[in-house]
Amino acid sequence: MRRLMKTIHIKKGYLPRLAGVPADTLKPLPPPGRVAACPARIPFIKPRLRVKKGDHVQVGTLLYEDKQDSRFQFLSPGGGRVEDIRLGPRRRVEAIVIALSPDEKRVAFPELSKLQLETISRPDLVERLCTGGIWPLIRALPFRDIADPDTVPPAIFISMDNQEPFQVPADIYLKGNEDLFEFGLHVLKRLSDKIYIAGAKSGRAGQPDAGRWANLTYTGKYPAGDPGVLLYHLKNTPDENNSWFITGQDVLMVARLLKNGRYPTRRVIAVGGSAAGDACHVQTRLGAPIAHLMDPVPDATTTRYVAGGVFHGHTVTPDDFIGLYETALTVLPEGNEKEFLALFNPGWRKPTYSRIYLSALNPADLPANCNRHGDERACIACMHCADVCPVDILPQLAYKAILAGEVEEALAHGLLDCVECGICTCVCPSKIELTETLKTARAAYRKEQRCG
Amino acid sequence: MNRIKRFFDTQRPRFSSGGKLEKWYPFFEAMETVFFASDQVTGRQGPHIRDSLDLKRYLATVLLILMPLFFFGVYNAGYQALRAAGIPVDFWPVILAGARIVLPIVLVSYGVGFAWEILFAAVRQHPISEGLFLTAMLFPLTLPPTTPLWQVALGISFGIVLGKEIFGGTGRNFLNPALTGRAFLYFAYPAQMTGDTVWIALNGIKETAVDAITAATPLVVAAATHTAGTVEKSLTGAGYTVSTLFFGLYPDSIGASSTLLCLIGAILLMLMGIASYRIIFGDILGVLATGFFLNLLATPASPPYMTLNPFYHLIMGGTAFGFAFMSTDPVSAPDLHTARWIYGFAIGSLTVLIRVFNPAFPEGIMLAILFMNVLAPLLDHITLRFRLKKRVPNV
Ligand code: SF4
Ligand code: SF4
Repeated sequence: MRRLMKTIHIKKGYLPRLAGVPADTLKPLPPPGRVAACPARIPFIKPRLRVKKGDHVQVGTLLYEDKQDSRFQFLSPGGGRVEDIRLGPRRRVEAIVIALSPDEKRVAFPELSKLQLETISRPDLVERLCTGGIWPLIRALPFRDIADPDTVPPAIFISMDNQEPFQVPADIYLKGNEDLFEFGLHVLKRLSDKIYIAGAKSGRAGQPDAGRWANLTYTGKYPAGDPGVLLYHLKNTPDENNSWFITGQDVLMVARLLKNGRYPTRRVIAVGGSAAGDACHVQTRLGAPIAHLMDPVPDATTTRYVAGGVFHGHTVTPDDFIGLYETALTVLPEGNEKEFLALFNPGWRKPTYSRIYLSALNPADLPANCNRHGDERACIACMHCADVCPVDILPQLAYKAILAGEVEEALAHGLLDCVECGICTCVCPSKIELTETLKTARAAYRKEQRCG
Repeated sequence: MNRIKRFFDTQRPRFSSGGKLEKWYPFFEAMETVFFASDQVTGRQGPHIRDSLDLKRYLATVLLILMPLFFFGVYNAGYQALRAAGIPVDFWPVILAGARIVLPIVLVSYGVGFAWEILFAAVRQHPISEGLFLTAMLFPLTLPPTTPLWQVALGISFGIVLGKEIFGGTGRNFLNPALTGRAFLYFAYPAQMTGDTVWIALNGIKETAVDAITAATPLVVAAATHTAGTVEKSLTGAGYTVSTLFFGLYPDSIGASSTLLCLIGAILLMLMGIASYRIIFGDILGVLATGFFLNLLATPASPPYMTLNPFYHLIMGGTAFGFAFMSTDPVSAPDLHTARWIYGFAIGSLTVLIRVFNPAFPEGIMLAILFMNVLAPLLDHITLRFRLKKRVPNV
């Protein structure tokens, strides 16, 4: 089947060449002793717990749901006993830890054949995805919250790959799962008339194996493949702003639930970063412990573990767990020491967006650490942030508008087009928290909208 | 390294909160970060990595690029002084003489500027803004070598306090502080500063009755030419050939005479992405376009200055220095790229117009830049309106 292929060229963006790219291998890991669900890492929801410590659960038992919309259900990624419910600051539920029993039981969900898929009504399909705990994997622009099951989106974007360092390439998670993926696509087609299957043109998804589905290819640096960026470059009318998106690997989750009638727990995770001992891809369980993914576990005082990529991820400890939305573990040196005479270092190995260090001439992948490399200063209008922003926001002006309380002005600047990619903050020589400010303002605006 | 580290570690308690010198912590911090980069790490949420570049390095790089101009300024000041005094111009004596003229000016500029900066930092409890280190170097380079030290002190104070600090410090100023200081001296002490004549500092070189001798600057020579089409000739006649003007070995302000070094500086700044090439090319285009336009308009009755080959405007006076180092100051320039083209073009154009039509101000570049500094927010505002109109709304 030939599809009409569209290619978008995204000129802005920024991808530092970082050392620690995961090898192409896929390493199956032995089963972990425990897994967990991490409500605190699902943005915008207010979890209501449906289990307590000591309860016995099966794979697919309801663990918690969103108080604001109880159709957003989150199921147990393991069978066994609820060993612990970890609370964070202000009694936020950080993790519901399940000690796995050797004979895990699974909740049975109704199976759906390809034929039934064509005839099932849309509300029934949505209902199955919700009770199967898979609905939260479908998210909506512009806020990137869980999609509203009552609406029909103008389009759904499927991100086959993601250039954020370091993510699982499509060919690795797709290998051997092509039929499942095809099934998942059919499910999504029942949800929206327009499906964009987006893959990088020169990237691995452009190769025949993974790319045979792609109907939208793009060129450009991180975050060119982000659904928000693609939408920004495609859209002609404001109606399209509320498109939905899902990742390629999550399409497999959708398919597994409906086709096999089981809550899916398989995950492929990319383990990368210059401090990761063995940078590779691992096949493991949903909600696996962080320490389980690394062998050996690098020293915690000088290392930062990030669940998710370099730009979007959350800092975690080895006792934490990988979250529902995270398919990467990035391990970086913390960089918490005072570098001697850094001001005078020609910087052959210092990653930078500017061309002020000699590294501008160095083609190698460079080790990055989590040092801020300087203190916060006033904006000097160097325009680095605006030159990298993939959706043509002028981050420094949007930032100033937000600080001045001018939300309307920030919206006119394109606040809601922001994809929270983090590169404006990353390249700012004045170390201004642009992304964080925009993100907070976006969330505040969403809240205002919801509460009327 | 360990000795230095120990030194800072033992001093830190005195400057930290509760310590005796708590108020002066910004000073301590500024000193420590010269040797040791900060150990601050990024937050728990992404982005987890930050660029290696910070403001200190950014400004230090510009300072480094200014060094050749500074050394040439020292050489030139010494050279002109010895030549005027009739002493043979050998390398070392020239350098020595130049250093005796220029170093005090630069040191006063730094000393006074730094004092103000520390004071404001201590009172406002904000870190010392590194912009000062650049301002305090740019400012003396625009001065004639004869400037009395008290005027240097006054000028830099004016530039730092009124050009910058009252607006809230580096990043919030809308005027270029070095130029503000320079303009202040220009208007406050026109006798010494207007640029009608050049100054050759002779202090301490030879016992003479006056401590400076004067001669007409290229700008004045050009403005005073009486016959159309002969401006170039009168410049050459006064000793200002194209190559002299280009290489810069003639009496002028300390750092601005050598077009060649300014050109190299500008190229480096653009290659490193520090200076906006849009501003610099805009500047140059503005000069050339306006110059050619005046050539076309020139009639026998109009000022002969109008017939000057526009390329001369680029190598005469402070044009090259102003373009490379003053007009490109990103804080006082507009933010948006399109606005920067317009800003540059307007600066170039105004520079020529002021020079040709307003003989009271032989040097147009300084006023052109300050004037456009003031207009920069307006340029931004207009460009922004056009830019935002193109977005598909998302509200
Ligand atoms: S403003 Fe938003 S989209 Fe633009 S670079 Fe910053 S985080 Fe990315
Ligand atoms: S990168 Fe930072 S300093 Fe540069 S314009 Fe943006 S906010 Fe300002």
